[in-house]
Amino acid sequence: MKKRVLSILITLAFVLVSVIGAHAASTVKIGFTYIMSGPFSAYGQFAKQGAELAIEEINAAGGINGQQVEGFFEDSTGKADVALRAIRKHVYQNKVDMLIGLDSSGVAKTVVPSIEKMQTPLIITHAATPDVTGSVCNKYTFRISLNLAQNVKAAALLAKETGAKKWTTVGPDYSFGHQSWEYFEKYLQELNPTTTFLPKDQVAFPPFKTTDFSAYITKVMSSKPDGVFISLWGGNLIDFVRQANSMGFFNADFEVLFSLGAATEVLTALGDKMPEGLWVGTRYWFLANDSAMNKHFVDSYFKKYGAYPSYNAHGAYSAVYAYKAAAKKAKSTDKMAIVNALEGLKIEIPTGTIEFRKGDHQAVTDAHWGKTAAAPGYPHRILKPIKIFKGQDVTPAVSETGCSLGAAM
Amino acid sequence: MMTQNNHNLLGPALLTILLLLAPLVIPVYWVMLLSEILIMGLMAVSLNLLLGYTGLLSFGQGAFFGLGAYTAALMLQAGYENLFLILLAGMLVALLAALVVGFFSVRLDEIFFAMITLGFGMMFFSIAHNWLDVTGGSDGLPVFNLPSLNLFGFQLTFYTPINMYYLVFVVVLIAISLLWLIVHSPFGLILKSMRENKQRVSFIGGNVKTLRIAAFAISGAFTGLAGVLFCLFNNMATPEFMHWSFSSKPIIMSIIGGTGVFLGPLFGAGIFFILEQIIIQYTENWMLFLGIILIPIVLFFPQGVFGTLRNKFFKQGSK
Amino acid sequence: MEFLLLNILNGLSWGMLLFLIAIGLTTVFGVMGVLNFAHGSLFMLGAYLCMQSMKYFDSFWFGLLVGPLCVVVIGVLVEKYLLKRVYDRDVSYQLLLTFAILLVLDDGVRMIWGSGYHIVEPPAILNGIISIAGQDYPVYRLFLIIIGPIIGGLLWSFFHFTKWGKIIRAASFDNIMAEGVGINVPLIYTSVFALGTWLAALGGALAAPQQSLIPSMGEKIIIESFIVVVVGGLGSFPGAFAGALLLGLLESFGTVFAGRLQMAIPYILLAVVLLVKPNGLFKKGV
Repeated sequence: MKKRVLSILITLAFVLVSVIGAHAASTVKIGFTYIMSGPFSAYGQFAKQGAELAIEEINAAGGINGQQVEGFFEDSTGKADVALRAIRKHVYQNKVDMLIGLDSSGVAKTVVPSIEKMQTPLIITHAATPDVTGSVCNKYTFRISLNLAQNVKAAALLAKETGAKKWTTVGPDYSFGHQSWEYFEKYLQELNPTTTFLPKDQVAFPPFKTTDFSAYITKVMSSKPDGVFISLWGGNLIDFVRQANSMGFFNADFEVLFSLGAATEVLTALGDKMPEGLWVGTRYWFLANDSAMNKHFVDSYFKKYGAYPSYNAHGAYSAVYAYKAAAKKAKSTDKMAIVNALEGLKIEIPTGTIEFRKGDHQAVTDAHWGKTAAAPGYPHRILKPIKIFKGQDVTPAVSETGCSLGAAM
Repeated sequence: MMTQNNHNLLGPALLTILLLLAPLVIPVYWVMLLSEILIMGLMAVSLNLLLGYTGLLSFGQGAFFGLGAYTAALMLQAGYENLFLILLAGMLVALLAALVVGFFSVRLDEIFFAMITLGFGMMFFSIAHNWLDVTGGSDGLPVFNLPSLNLFGFQLTFYTPINMYYLVFVVVLIAISLLWLIVHSPFGLILKSMRENKQRVSFIGGNVKTLRIAAFAISGAFTGLAGVLFCLFNNMATPEFMHWSFSSKPIIMSIIGGTGVFLGPLFGAGIFFILEQIIIQYTENWMLFLGIILIPIVLFFPQGVFGTLRNKFFKQGSK
Repeated sequence: MEFLLLNILNGLSWGMLLFLIAIGLTTVFGVMGVLNFAHGSLFMLGAYLCMQSMKYFDSFWFGLLVGPLCVVVIGVLVEKYLLKRVYDRDVSYQLLLTFAILLVLDDGVRMIWGSGYHIVEPPAILNGIISIAGQDYPVYRLFLIIIGPIIGGLLWSFFHFTKWGKIIRAASFDNIMAEGVGINVPLIYTSVFALGTWLAALGGALAAPQQSLIPSMGEKIIIESFIVVVVGGLGSFPGAFAGALLLGLLESFGTVFAGRLQMAIPYILLAVVLLVKPNGLFKKGV
């Protein structure tokens, strides 16, 4: 009887050991953590494609500081505890030199304190919450993508130009939607003190799981605003646009700004059902920049995957190159040396030249807005005209972010 | 009926020693996984006090887990650093909530009980998700500092994975031992016989409702304790912990392991995590393969993997 | 006033969709005693297969006809080879098995159609708008409001006026007795599950022109349909109807009155109903 227990345990131990089997080679290892399964796995897939393209290119060109690059991909499932487990696997099991990733704001905000304990640099490429380069910022955490504050600042600049006086919002009922509206109110009020905003109980915050937006559309239309700021994204945005369109929302007499409307996964799904002439924003737009680097990125991405790169593909692609630049600058892949090299690093990526600010580790990067327009030859709407808001014009001062990196150091 | 007093303690003792020594042999990442297995195992064993022993399927355990986690996170945020105080407070808050939820829920049975506990759980989720000022809203609360323990004048911290593991190990060991005592006390035996036959218990003078509330509250309190540990282990408390999908985890683990055996759910937690790690190694479509593996487990292991294997090998009649 | 009317319409069209999903769920429970977690995945499959059928023959009606029928084939296989084995098991095992089926179906769909969003166009004849109380309102929504009661009525007549319907009702009351009087119970179970599957898939196909298709679209709706079914009374037909309309209207008006509480509306409704009427609003009886 005891022997049986023992034999079961030994078998179990063997299974474990075979699973654990560690790699050992002198490569530079990067650990990517994205949503690879479940409802939002499309975002993880885009990021993985961007990252793999960058690794392929870098390896073909001789690697990072002469070493080949190896990418590890783990699934965050969009949940904070699972994401942290994935990051732990990267750090303790895969023994990565660098972390890249994170889609969800909630995940980013709660995982960041542990990043500091693991003393491994992280570049966030998607999560937009201002807090990770603000109130909970730390020495190891950087962000290459446009954050919520930057994007909304651009929206407020645009809103001011439209001349609309009374604003309301439709946003997802979680931190992202509420924060977007708070920042929009704050920035637009500063830019134009005569603007008014509907009080919180009259604006629309549909819960995330909503698929039927009709009641919210009715609510907004009957509140008769001059402008509507919409921070819905993904499936919510697709459903909203189609239902709103069929309810005459876009023919009504008010301005509409979609802060994340120019995401390629949304435009692709909607195809020619996306109305023309709507103001939409995005973190990266593949036609916004004529630089050789952007052309190269868009062309090789299209060649490899048969689609135009989304902002998330761009974020992951650029983060790998930012890491390469930091390693070159530091002449090492030592984690602390990389952190120091990333601070203040200026680098050209497809969207333009960015700089990781020393004070909060947020990249100063441009915000892109444009009007949806039909274009023959593209599988979805494109932006025309395109409006680019310069990074320094939309990035709040470090003192406003609540990040105390500079003070603590 | 299990009335034999020759409880075989050899297995549990061996398991304890193995768990005690494991960190010396296995890699750090697996030490951390083992911590998670123990925490989720405690949650599953607590749930099984209801599912396996009382016959109540609760779909709202996440609420108590989350309450424990939020209590710990808020106390740490407020500067409390006494480990015992935090563990007890988390348990107490979960206990009180479970008393209230239990008071309203235990009058229902089977699927109705499952649905009303799901409903209450999701109400807690909605509060955590929306009460921005206190709970941090949907983002949850990040935790920056951990409590420390003054052990005979020696200040013990839990910032390293190994120390954290031993904290989890000790707390889970004590909690599971307490649960074992409860299950094998007269109270536990009445619960079991109540599961078989509700009328009979009321005939012999037991108040079914009070007994069920007590079981629900005890289960909730230990679930809250697991939540505190999870918060310390992950440095966070998020509304996700309270969602019904999180509440379904200990149910899956209990059924995989076996609801008829005291430690079945703990093994279920282990099987679940290890399975997940193995599948994830090979494919991104882990949901598909998890489903494909779960189906035969349900069909061919009527007492759970651990329970069925135990019965097969040791020919012990369980229950 | 017009605002009130629009909210009622919004609530009704959402409620009718919930109703279509809930009647399948409640019928399966009423007859077989199984609460099917994978019901939402069958809803999702209905939407995807409707979309897929439309690729071969570009008509929504064709998709509406063929898509759900394809799902029925899958449903029958699931019943015959998997569900059948757990009818006499504890409810938690049934939930876990159907949950596993949910995982397989959802991830399977993701492997076939990818994780991106898809959309389905409503048929041209229903694609227009109509002016109601001075505001444009989509015709397709009115179509949903009308189709719900029609399908419900047809099913009700089926159960009450046809021989098959009566047999199924008899089996749901007492399957041992039914077997005793020579009714082929396994066959009835299979056909009832096929019917439930068809209803879920039909709901999915009808929802497709309204909401974007992703593999997890069933997970979003399954808990709400559980709530509708339990609030109405498990196995109750009129209960599912009342529960669906109640929830649809509450959610619609909740957007105006409930503020930040709106997320909790379905759960508050669930708890209140169960505390006041532990067996749901309508007693059992298909």
